[in-house]
Amino acid sequence: MDILKDLAAIVGTEFATQDPSVLSDYVSDLSFTEGSRPEAVVFPGKTEEVSSIVRWANEKNIPLIPVSSPIHLYGTTVPKQGGVIVNMKRFDEIYEIDKVNRLVRFGVGVSWEKLTAALKAEGMRVIMPLAPREERAVATDHLEREVTTSMVYDYGEPTQSMEVVFPNGDVFRTGSASAPKYPYSPARGANPAGPGLDFYRLLQCAQGTMGIVTWMSLKIQSIPLIDKIKFAPLDDLGEGISYLYRILPRRIGQECLILNRVDLAALLAEDTAEFEKMRGRLPEYTLILTISGLIRRPEEKIAYEEHFLEDVMKNEFPQIVLTDYLPGFPGADKKLMNILRTAWPKERPYWKSVPKGAYQDLFFITRPERVPEFIERMKHVAGEISYPFDEIGIYEQPIEHNRACQLQFTFYYDPDCEESADTVKSVWKKAFESMHDAGGYFTRPYGETAERLYDRAASYTAALKKVKALFDPNNVMNPGNLCF
Amino acid sequence: MSVIDKKHPERYDTPKEPFALDIENLSNFVYDMQHCIKCKGCYWVDHTYMPGMKHSVRCPSNLWKEFDSYGAFGKMRIGLKLEKNEIEWTDHLLELIYADPLCGACDVGCKRNLDLEVGLTLEALRVKAVQDGAGPLPVHKDITSDILETGNCYGAKKDRRAWMDASVKPAEKADIMYFVGCSSSYENTGIASAVTKVMQSAGIPYMLMEDETCCGNIIFSVGLVDEARKIAEKNVEKVRKSGAKVLMTGCAECYRMWKVDYPKLLNIRTEDLGFEVKHFIEVAEEALTEGKLKLVNPVNQRITYHDACNVSRNCDPWEPYEGERGWMGTVEPRLARRRGRHGLYEQARTLLRAIPGIDLAEMPRMKENSLCCAGGRGTKQAFPELAEFAARDRLEEARYVGAETVVSACPWCRSNFSETAEKDGEKTGVLDIAELLAMAAETGEK
Amino acid sequence: MSINKHAYQAIEAVVGRNYITDDPADCEGYRSGPGGYESGTGYERVMTKIAGAVVMPRTTEDVQKIVKICGRFGVPFVPYSTGFYGPRSHPHMEHELIIDMKRMRDFEIDEKHFFITVQPGVIYSQIQQECFEKGAYVVIGGGGAQTSAVANLLNDGWSPLSFRVGLPQRRILGMEVVMPDGEIVKMGSLADGDDPFWGEGIGPDLRGIMRGYTGLLGCLGICTRMAIKTLPFQPEIPKPSGISPETALQLDPKRVRWINFTMPSLESIEQAHIMIGNAEIGGAVTKVPVFWRAIAKAECKEDFWDLWLKETEESVSNFFLVRVLLIGYTSEEQMDYDYHVLCDIIEELGGKERRTKPSDESWFKNADSAGMWLMTGSYVSVDYVMDTFTQAFKQGPNYRDLKAKYTPPLMPDCKDLGWFQSCEMGHLGYYEYLIYWDQREDTNGMDQFYVESAKMNIENGCYPALLGAHQPLYLTGPAYGPGYHEWILGLKEVFDPQWICHPPLPLAHDEFVERAEWMHEVKNWETPEEFPYPEKLKENMRLEK
Repeated sequence: MDILKDLAAIVGTEFATQDPSVLSDYVSDLSFTEGSRPEAVVFPGKTEEVSSIVRWANEKNIPLIPVSSPIHLYGTTVPKQGGVIVNMKRFDEIYEIDKVNRLVRFGVGVSWEKLTAALKAEGMRVIMPLAPREERAVATDHLEREVTTSMVYDYGEPTQSMEVVFPNGDVFRTGSASAPKYPYSPARGANPAGPGLDFYRLLQCAQGTMGIVTWMSLKIQSIPLIDKIKFAPLDDLGEGISYLYRILPRRIGQECLILNRVDLAALLAEDTAEFEKMRGRLPEYTLILTISGLIRRPEEKIAYEEHFLEDVMKNEFPQIVLTDYLPGFPGADKKLMNILRTAWPKERPYWKSVPKGAYQDLFFITRPERVPEFIERMKHVAGEISYPFDEIGIYEQPIEHNRACQLQFTFYYDPDCEESADTVKSVWKKAFESMHDAGGYFTRPYGETAERLYDRAASYTAALKKVKALFDPNNVMNPGNLCF
Repeated sequence: MSVIDKKHPERYDTPKEPFALDIENLSNFVYDMQHCIKCKGCYWVDHTYMPGMKHSVRCPSNLWKEFDSYGAFGKMRIGLKLEKNEIEWTDHLLELIYADPLCGACDVGCKRNLDLEVGLTLEALRVKAVQDGAGPLPVHKDITSDILETGNCYGAKKDRRAWMDASVKPAEKADIMYFVGCSSSYENTGIASAVTKVMQSAGIPYMLMEDETCCGNIIFSVGLVDEARKIAEKNVEKVRKSGAKVLMTGCAECYRMWKVDYPKLLNIRTEDLGFEVKHFIEVAEEALTEGKLKLVNPVNQRITYHDACNVSRNCDPWEPYEGERGWMGTVEPRLARRRGRHGLYEQARTLLRAIPGIDLAEMPRMKENSLCCAGGRGTKQAFPELAEFAARDRLEEARYVGAETVVSACPWCRSNFSETAEKDGEKTGVLDIAELLAMAAETGEK
Repeated sequence: MSINKHAYQAIEAVVGRNYITDDPADCEGYRSGPGGYESGTGYERVMTKIAGAVVMPRTTEDVQKIVKICGRFGVPFVPYSTGFYGPRSHPHMEHELIIDMKRMRDFEIDEKHFFITVQPGVIYSQIQQECFEKGAYVVIGGGGAQTSAVANLLNDGWSPLSFRVGLPQRRILGMEVVMPDGEIVKMGSLADGDDPFWGEGIGPDLRGIMRGYTGLLGCLGICTRMAIKTLPFQPEIPKPSGISPETALQLDPKRVRWINFTMPSLESIEQAHIMIGNAEIGGAVTKVPVFWRAIAKAECKEDFWDLWLKETEESVSNFFLVRVLLIGYTSEEQMDYDYHVLCDIIEELGGKERRTKPSDESWFKNADSAGMWLMTGSYVSVDYVMDTFTQAFKQGPNYRDLKAKYTPPLMPDCKDLGWFQSCEMGHLGYYEYLIYWDQREDTNGMDQFYVESAKMNIENGCYPALLGAHQPLYLTGPAYGPGYHEWILGLKEVFDPQWICHPPLPLAHDEFVERAEWMHEVKNWETPEEFPYPEKLKENMRLEK
């Protein structure tokens, strides 16, 4: 079997390689995942090519690992059983920005940088996670169900339709894009649901095991005409969370998040030295809330939100003090507002590498009222192995009016120091087990977490495996991930 | 095969079918049975008034036993088979048809949105049971014999007027004839006494019916329409002869019987009876408004008022109807449907609020959403478990709103609530509204 | 008639003799029609059967045991919560068991985290009042306040109140399903604990196999528990008023208001929907069919026709009304803001505010779907679609024009366009087309129209709701995806190889087309020589024929 020849026959010689320097890019990523080298990397440029590649893989029983971003965070693109990397970077076109129906459709290789710039030129934006890298693929982040900083929309996620090549090579469009004649149909692909089943749900957080998405469409919003950012230092995190329970259901705000001093310092600091200074001076936790005036009567919207906030603070939460600036840090307001609405520029070191150079995240979904309890737990875990708790980043992201939240711990370490890395591996693992035992709900099973998560959710796992076996009987799609 | 209407090519030329609101022929209700949509408006409290998870159902039969066949929507389907004689009468089928107090909740619930005669269909099913020789139930036959022999539904040989003591002073002749009814004459005599006390306190003369006998409520309700018609004819004639302008009763069942079912049996309108039919609470409320009735004695109780079916949903006046049904089911001539709008809700509440010391709490299922106690229309006698179940559920609701006493305007409710409370060892008091008014009235007891 | 007697006895041991019956009168009481949603149709006459028996479980474990017993003895079963959905939620085989879940009515509310957890016997109006008392509200689907929230969310679930939250499936959190083989699969956070607060899966989300745009009508398992999102409301609890039939919820106009606006054109209504969504205000935006207004005014059916027959195509096509719900979620000041923005938009579009009653008769608690049957006696929504307004406003005229060919038996509606509303803040445009007829007449045309509408959508490239088991799967399957039907059939094979759960769905409409002779003239698509049923099912169907 000549893999390169076969692949080149599909995509052209220019777009298939077995160059070792290219292959080695995929052996590892920013996680601790260890894997094997791929046998080749292929760069399809059209959906039909992807389909041919997948059919070929089934025929030859060769695993495929789809990749759309140049930066990989969670180990999902590291081959576990060898195979061929299907790098989707050539799918980097923005197909349409529909301002009337407020949607954007784009290839899976489109980066945050490209998408946000194109939307901005039209006066539009898409809700986004906290400071994603601008070179990262937008589709990847939304397929991975990255939690967004915007918690005001009842519909939650912006994901609409997709085109996918299923593990049997069939090209399929999900949602209303499945309509005949699409994209020349009256159906514009705005509805993610169906046809018949909610296929999009099977593709989300699938880590490429259920098919290869080629494009997706997302909801977009108008850029607000006025934005104001507010800060509240929180000495008592529990009090801050109670405050959020009070204000967020009243549909206040656009973005809302709580960061501890470590993460906030990392976000704001230019370098490690500044990071250390800021970390020492910032309050333990800071609540960050943006309020926005939209495209009509923006001042009135700002006014009613501010009046409400003032009222609540005066009558119910006098200890919460919201200011338009971050006390002690002039200019931080403008900086953070920009951070919340744009992707992290690749020219700058990524904010999470500022403290020590590398990091590992641990995140899960929970009820906001449990956050202090989980933090106490983390203190205990850190203490058990003498890991400095005050070096752990903590980020609480409220979801949908605070009905739930994502709690994220970040462990920073020196990538050049093996001991440092080992310590983080160890604390991370213990922390994961501890949080999981305490009821933290892990919806994104990366790497080592998968086994424990799927073992515990036995009935779910059994059913999921049946679904996988239907879609991918030969298990060619990214095997060794999730429970497959 | 449908034929296009020549004048209106966008329609079919639907043949007109005659029908009547005549319960003696089940075929009159085939359209209604065929068009039940299973929305269960007949089962649930009106959704606008839905109180939440508790007290959400107003059909006592289907609350008691939960198979769909116990609900009106199930019976509509069964009825279609009965009309075609395609289903056998069995004991169970008789239970489905008769374990039902005909409380009108289904009729009113359905008519919130649709034009279906659910209540009349259920009555027609009883008549069908009798016509087919299957019904009524043995206990109903016994009661019927008792009524025909002794003039009362208890088979009591005692004088019907034995409840009267010296304080009761009916007039020889008066505009108002007080029809006491079997329950108040024999079982709940306190109600009869109370009614007369209040009338006398308000200075309203009343006369009693000569040789009063049962109104025939149970006989009619179980489908023995011929026997019931004879009673109706006799009783109506008696009132007409007496010259009374108003037939007043303190029993909700008698009230419905006189106001709605007598005209139904006699194929006349309620207004053609030749006299008005009023429940005691109507007369008392008028007297209060006119200043004749003074409620001065405090009654320091937290009470709740149970809207008995027959002074709420079931008492819209009757009008016979014969017509035709044609295109899209439209009927000619126009039919003003009885949708349960004329319940005596405010009259009772006005009276109760006028009593000093009374703290009136409303139950979640109030007015047309009231849960029937299933004590009347022969239901309790045939299905004591159902009656006890419904009463228990209602008493629980009364306790839920903190009521010390449940008040109603029907002696059958009073009996059923009292017996169930006693059986369960519950301390909830049970009174008729007449008794409460009598306590509060100027010359009443404290 | 009954079911396999060994199965009957075994099931009786599970639930007790009071909760299972095969009495002919009881089973007759569960008949699908002849009245009801999508009743009075050929589908109902040809496909539905009387149940062989009915059982009423109380717990998930009861359901599991019943399903396993059915599996052992080959007894087909169908889950049933209120039975309101019409023939598609009733038995299609002889000797089939109805699993009536009305006794399963546990309810919990988490006020702080805005969700409820319910079993299938709980209906929307019960939930709504409980929510009101906790500062929340729930979206009641157009199916009505009398529908089971679980069933409605698994299969349909749209309503003008979906304006902000959109797709019904977004409202589902953790849930528990008894699969056709009797295994219990817990989804969302229930998969990994006892707290159903979150709906996403561990990795891929298996809620995706429980429904698509519409649901699978119970042919892939029985949901026994579901957590459902509620939405933050405003603090004034709407109070009921009136005596039946004139009952309504009184709304505090400072915090909740419906407002009607007359508009100059259909295009301006489309624009209003889009612009209001873009402005991110409001709680609902909808354009209702003109004849609904006649229903609202009518005391009775005859009143309706008096009013409606005065209308003409011209008067209907020139009547444009948009109805907007404003909710003061934050404060009265926010309510004022929303109102001013709304008025700006309406003024720009040339519309005018009309006097509007300060009450809600139809959406918050009553969801007046029962009134749909007043006019003619029979009704079905032949499609309800959600994509964009671009599609919605193009699709309406398509249906209207096709329908004219099938009138009669369909009701003359002066070419009224149907129901439009906005969802997900205007990102989605919803369109529903409702049809009405008199089931006493020749209804073959209605059955044909139903399938012709699917063909029309395929031809025009529109995305309809009625896929899956609602229309012939071999017609819509190859067109959408393409090939979505293969995945549904594949899943059916995986999870229900015996086809014991509500057979012969998802191929029931395909069966109907084969069995009903008047449908043969509309059938112009390929089907396999034999449907992919297991041998036992094929044999039973042969015997039943």
